[in-house]
Amino acid sequence: MTALALSLLIPWAMGVVLVMVDGRRAPVGWLAVVVLVASLAVQVLLAATVLSDGPVVMTTGDWPTGVGITLRADALGVLFSLLSLLAILTATAHQVIEGVHDRVFPGLVVILAAGLTGVFLTGDLFNFYVFFELSMTAAYVLATYGGSRRALGAALVFTTVNLLGTFVFLLSVAGVYHVTGTLDMGRIAARMADADPNASILIAVGFFVAFSVKLGLFPFHFWLPTVYTGARPAVAAILSGGLANIGAYGLLRFGGELLPRELDLAAGALIVIGSASILYGGVLAVSRRTGGEMLAYSAIGQVGYVLVAIGIGGPMGFGAAVLYAVVNSLNKTLLFLTIRMRGAVVGAAFVIGALSVAGIPPAAGFVGKLELFRAAADIPALLVLLFLGSALSLLYVFQVYQYDFWRTARTGRPSARAQQAVLASMALLVLVAGLWPEPLLALSNAAAGVLTGATTMADATP
Amino acid sequence: MILVLASAAAVLFGVGAYLLLQRDLLRVVLGVAVISQAATLTLMASALQFGDAPILPLPAQNMSDPLSQAMSLTAIVIGFASASLLLVMVLRVVTAFHSQELDEMAGAEAGRDARLDLEDAEDHEAEEAAAR
Repeated sequence: MTALALSLLIPWAMGVVLVMVDGRRAPVGWLAVVVLVASLAVQVLLAATVLSDGPVVMTTGDWPTGVGITLRADALGVLFSLLSLLAILTATAHQVIEGVHDRVFPGLVVILAAGLTGVFLTGDLFNFYVFFELSMTAAYVLATYGGSRRALGAALVFTTVNLLGTFVFLLSVAGVYHVTGTLDMGRIAARMADADPNASILIAVGFFVAFSVKLGLFPFHFWLPTVYTGARPAVAAILSGGLANIGAYGLLRFGGELLPRELDLAAGALIVIGSASILYGGVLAVSRRTGGEMLAYSAIGQVGYVLVAIGIGGPMGFGAAVLYAVVNSLNKTLLFLTIRMRGAVVGAAFVIGALSVAGIPPAAGFVGKLELFRAAADIPALLVLLFLGSALSLLYVFQVYQYDFWRTARTGRPSARAQQAVLASMALLVLVAGLWPEPLLALSNAAAGVLTGATTMADATP
Repeated sequence: MILVLASAAAVLFGVGAYLLLQRDLLRVVLGVAVISQAATLTLMASALQFGDAPILPLPAQNMSDPLSQAMSLTAIVIGFASASLLLVMVLRVVTAFHSQELDEMAGAEAGRDARLDLEDAEDHEAEEAAAR
């Protein structure tokens, strides 16, 4: 209970304070890092409670259940929350060591962390929207970070497209309230089963579009390359390693738990869209020469795997989707941070990230791909597609490695030692997760268990 | 009543979408604002009842639903805040690009990309020459 309240309260309150002070001074930046570390520590405690004793539920303000907003931490929410916080912490530490150029950067990063934590740990649909909007608004401003013309133009595109996405989400929220008469996710899941199929399919499509825009899936990806290449590396790492998790989490939570009937109906379509995303992202990434552009298109391809796994469904499919989302987020954080860095560790870190994207042991990506192959084992066409996607990713990551590290582009004064240490610890994490995957597998299976009924939210609701 | 509200929301969304696709950045912002109004209207319409005000002590029967109104209020505030943020962003873009037309922005970007490609090609040529 306390850990759940604190994990929201710490970044929220401190974010408001940090926005008001000048973030360009080093102590302020380090304070933001400390706040993020503190929230991470609280959430690790929360995760330990959730994994041993089951979901933690709390109604805010001691209102009777059904009136007050419920906060709810289950394995799926806690896992995504921890993951996003880790990505944000790494990118922030990286940027603070380099020096912050913008007075609001540390505050906004902490507010973004608060918003994401809220999104993953709420049990109330409208509350989900509010936290969603909180984290998106922080991200809109973060996208302008650096203030170059390119970043500004990209941020404008990012804001417009994603605002449209959030309003589509809001329309679906209104639909859910109209159909079920409640905003509590546990009750929605129970009542949605009796809803009129026409209405519920419309609602499901709205949610799918909203989350696909966040995730940057193939037909909704058009904003993504501009933004990820226009933004600074640390911001790109935060957006793709932290913020994009909303999309994967939303598809899992809303598809797997609130609208399982509609997910079954659309399974074929999801697999087709995911496959299109994998091929499109892979082919375009091969045609790029700079690290940033390659990573942007690779991000489109990699989320396709998550969608394919969700389309396959069942305990195996959801488990693979969660695991792949986790691994992808770690990869993207690591690889985006290597852009514009120089030094001995950078090349090694890039190679570990590249191995992980291509799914080659000993990096963590191998475990993700393995689970995906196991989930797709019954469908030969999918196996061919997954193999093709992996081959493409092997091609594009090492092509960029060759361009970036073997040509003269990366020579010069090496980056700060501390910055390289941040990168090295992230690379080490990817490596350790690949060498000793049992904890990660157990976590993702526990998270998938939430969706397949091992412990549903409906059970957790009194 | 539901039909009237639904068509009003649909028209608002359509008008917003049309504005969003314009080249003028100011119209894009207006489009986002109009779409946010469509969402607010839908929220209100999702639980529309004609009843007494839900103020304590609660009326015994025929009470209108306070939740959808609370949601609408929140959505109005958030929509207003995002529209103003977007407006500020447009202002910064206008000062940076000296234009509020999307085409001219795209032109400036394309010019930059072409220059980079040219530099890249030159680098490559130089490298090839050095290798020979």
